[in-house]
Amino acid sequence: MSIVVADGITHWFGRELALEGVDLTLDTGEHMAVLGENGAGKTTLLRILATALRPTAGSLQIAGLNAFREKRRLRHYIGYVAHAPGLYPALTASENLRFFCDLQGVPGSRVDEVLDIVGLRAIAMRRSSELSRGMQQRVALARAILHDPKLLILDEPDASLGSDAADLLGEIMRDRSVVLATHDHALANRLCPRTLELRHGRSHGTATRLHVVR
Amino acid sequence: MNRYEKAAAAAVALMLVAGAAIFLYAPTDWLQGPVQRIFYLHVSSAIAAYGCFTVVLLGGLIFLRTENYAADRWARAGALVGVIFTTVTLVMGSLWAKKVWGSFWVWDARLTATLVLWIIYAGYLLVRRLAEPGRQAARIAAAVGIFGFVDVPVVHFSVTWWVTQHPGPVIVNDALPPQMLATFLFTMFCTLVLAAVMVAIRYRIETLLDARHVLIEPARVVTGHQPEAAR
Amino acid sequence: MNPLRVAVAVMRKDLVSEWRTREMVPALAQFIVLALLIGNFGFQIDSRNAPSIAPGILWLALVFAGLVAFGRTFAAEREQASLEAMLMTPASPVAIFAGKALAACAVLVICEAVMLPALTLFFGIPFSGDVVLAVLLATVGMAALGCIFAAIVARVRARELLLPLLTIPLWIPFIIAGGQAVQSAMGLPGSYDQAIGLLIDFDILFVVLTSLAARFVLDD
Repeated sequence: MSIVVADGITHWFGRELALEGVDLTLDTGEHMAVLGENGAGKTTLLRILATALRPTAGSLQIAGLNAFREKRRLRHYIGYVAHAPGLYPALTASENLRFFCDLQGVPGSRVDEVLDIVGLRAIAMRRSSELSRGMQQRVALARAILHDPKLLILDEPDASLGSDAADLLGEIMRDRSVVLATHDHALANRLCPRTLELRHGRSHGTATRLHVVR
Repeated sequence: MNRYEKAAAAAVALMLVAGAAIFLYAPTDWLQGPVQRIFYLHVSSAIAAYGCFTVVLLGGLIFLRTENYAADRWARAGALVGVIFTTVTLVMGSLWAKKVWGSFWVWDARLTATLVLWIIYAGYLLVRRLAEPGRQAARIAAAVGIFGFVDVPVVHFSVTWWVTQHPGPVIVNDALPPQMLATFLFTMFCTLVLAAVMVAIRYRIETLLDARHVLIEPARVVTGHQPEAAR
Repeated sequence: MNPLRVAVAVMRKDLVSEWRTREMVPALAQFIVLALLIGNFGFQIDSRNAPSIAPGILWLALVFAGLVAFGRTFAAEREQASLEAMLMTPASPVAIFAGKALAACAVLVICEAVMLPALTLFFGIPFSGDVVLAVLLATVGMAALGCIFAAIVARVRARELLLPLLTIPLWIPFIIAGGQAVQSAMGLPGSYDQAIGLLIDFDILFVVLTSLAARFVLDD
């Protein structure tokens, strides 16, 4: 069963055409990588899939619901890691997460659980302005899974994560449907059986792992 | 001539007739003299401006409910034309004030409220210019239009209240003689026609601009290739 | 989702951040003292004309300090890209907005606690509860309007430019009624009770209106 069905997604920023007629389906539990150069439209596509941005044209169904009309009902369903970590610099890592527990309506005990998953228990009490870029990225990943979403939208999560990026991401992506944007073909190969290549806002087809490797 | 040019020509002709009525038909005011003739266009353009801002309000509300970009275009057109008519009102009013009250500006309730009106909708136009065209710009502009419209009576009320606290000039309107009333009603009619034609023409321009930004209804965007106007 | 829990969480987050970094309050307090200083140089204030000039300086300082405070609260969220993260949760945008407006309002009230004594100190005008009440009531409505427009311009270019242009006209009713209340509290003619009544009416009107608009401004 498909969890995401995007049809003819087109988006204009003013007079700039960012995406043009992109179709995409994602089956439940499937992991898909979105590849492409800078400016190919990866971030725009992911923001649309995360319901953070409404496209100029096209339709999007997530879990059988119209994602534009019913996005509030889908919020608990989707976890989104944006390009920027989006943490509050004056708050500690665990305070940042605690705050989002309140907004998500999940108990504060989730904070320690997700910090364990991303391996940050030790620095939970440090202010996020003091954390390295990679650690901030881990906190952002932890925040995206606070509410245990079924669907994860990850925008270049591997950026600045370091050598164990693939292991950590694999752990987080397990048992979830995932759309992941990245530059790193090797990482995409390892984590995602299927890839979608974007060029200048257009889909250049999906490929299974075999096609990409050979 | 296309229908916009015809409508524009008709509106201009009407305004010329109104001008003739103001200067040839309407009697000279016995107290203020010829300067009172400002009254006809001054009040008419204020009413036209209020009408335009009502279009902004309704367009914004309809856009928020239905996401129909045509409503947003009406709002944009109304804001621009409304600001023009408010400017006319202010300029003519201060010329009149100079002659009658001896200074271009007095902090009368109506003057102050009209100035605030002008500032609010000039701000609306700035928002439209500075925001990335699209759904978001339309939504935030709708919010500005709604706040502006609600604020105008509130400002008017509070300034009136403030003026009565601080005695200042008050306009006393005696009953108008019938010829003056007829001239005023006719001028108001012509001005409203002119405003409506200007809004319609601006709406057309906004539609053409939107076609370049592809802000037409999503159903009309053919995916897979660039729309004609955007090439 | 409990909206009250969300609003309190957002407000606490903003106030804790402010307490730790101490960015806004000292800067704004200093800004207000400078405004009083300029007022003094610009007006040649002495004990006779102070009651008629001081209210004007008070409102000028308050308006500009308010613009900085409310503009900052959403600009910071934008810079940190955290606004989107908040809006991606099921929490109601209205509750998020209310939390941010309450925090910004609290910051401004703290600045007023500097401004009012300074006004007494510099200009020798009497410090009274009546003045405090008028300023606080005006702050509530100004915060609601200031924050909704700060949220609006946060998504627009040249937001520092646009915020005062959009906000000040809408603040005029508060400045009129608040100015009248402060003037009569300082011994000038005019009805204090009527002005306070108006301030309360305006507060109710604009708090309700901004709550209705917050959904459209923040969502999406």
